[in-house]
Amino acid sequence: MNNDLLNILSNSNKDIDNQVLMDYLAGKLSVEQKHEVEKLMADNHFMNDAMEGLEQVKDPINIELLVEQINRDLRKKIDKKIKLKQRRRLKQYSWIYFAAFLLLLLVMIAWFVIYRVQHQPHLIHP
Amino acid sequence: MSADHYKDTTDNELLERFYSDKSNHWLGILLQRYTMLLFGVCMKYLKNEEDAKDSVQQVFLKIIAELHKYKVAYFKSWIYMIAKNHCLMKLRDRQGKTPVELKEQALAWEEDPGSHQLHADKDRMLDLMSTALEELSKEQKLCVTLFYLDKKSYQEITDRTGYSMGQVKSYIQNGKRNLKLLMERKLADK
Repeated sequence: MNNDLLNILSNSNKDIDNQVLMDYLAGKLSVEQKHEVEKLMADNHFMNDAMEGLEQVKDPINIELLVEQINRDLRKKIDKKIKLKQRRRLKQYSWIYFAAFLLLLLVMIAWFVIYRVQHQPHLIHP
Repeated sequence: MSADHYKDTTDNELLERFYSDKSNHWLGILLQRYTMLLFGVCMKYLKNEEDAKDSVQQVFLKIIAELHKYKVAYFKSWIYMIAKNHCLMKLRDRQGKTPVELKEQALAWEEDPGSHQLHADKDRMLDLMSTALEELSKEQKLCVTLFYLDKKSYQEITDRTGYSMGQVKSYIQNGKRNLKLLMERKLADK
């Protein structure tokens, strides 16, 4: 009896490299590699839907360009959000920085006053 | 944000890092791994490259917003559901029709490889499987056998049987699903 029978019911959660997907679409894979990709597709609705959609793109070269555009846009949005968050945090804590600065200033003034008093020439009373 | 730098980091590790410091930086790395697949899913439903591109960007924003609200256990299945739902909503808006309702089936299907009592002894399972295979429709049985047992590619099966690529995929997927159901029934009967 064929032991592969039991493999039919096994599901794979294996991740697949984007390059392998592109090679599959471009027909660059060997028969065995092609079968491996298709087995993952049969196991995985996400991948199957994705491949069906990618096959509809007129020029497969466009896929990589579009993906790069989307990624660039995502990175830009995320960087913007991170910067905004940092700025907000800075604003939120600005009074602490201000208070610290004020305290430092007071300490410096106090030190200066004490220093001046201690080093003032003694007044000679007639 | 170099995604390559983190190529050995798993999805779950990136998610954990995000949950610990709430920095979108980690989500950026994680999401870029799925851009192509999500674009494919959106293309499948929307059939237009620009619409698909816009949809992936919207799906990304939704994912980021949702992840700030709650924890997600099965990230890959979850983002697939979000993208599919987004496209179906878009189609509904476009056509004014109600799309097919989505259930949580994808979550169960992908993360539950052991939904069958594969603990039964191997010979008995093989017996049951060959009987179940015989009970499939002629087309499903042929495609499942050629695909899983003879390890033929979709194209080879298409060439050999004369079925279209779509039919071959459908016979394999439905055949597999029916095999699962038949096996579950047989195991429950025993």
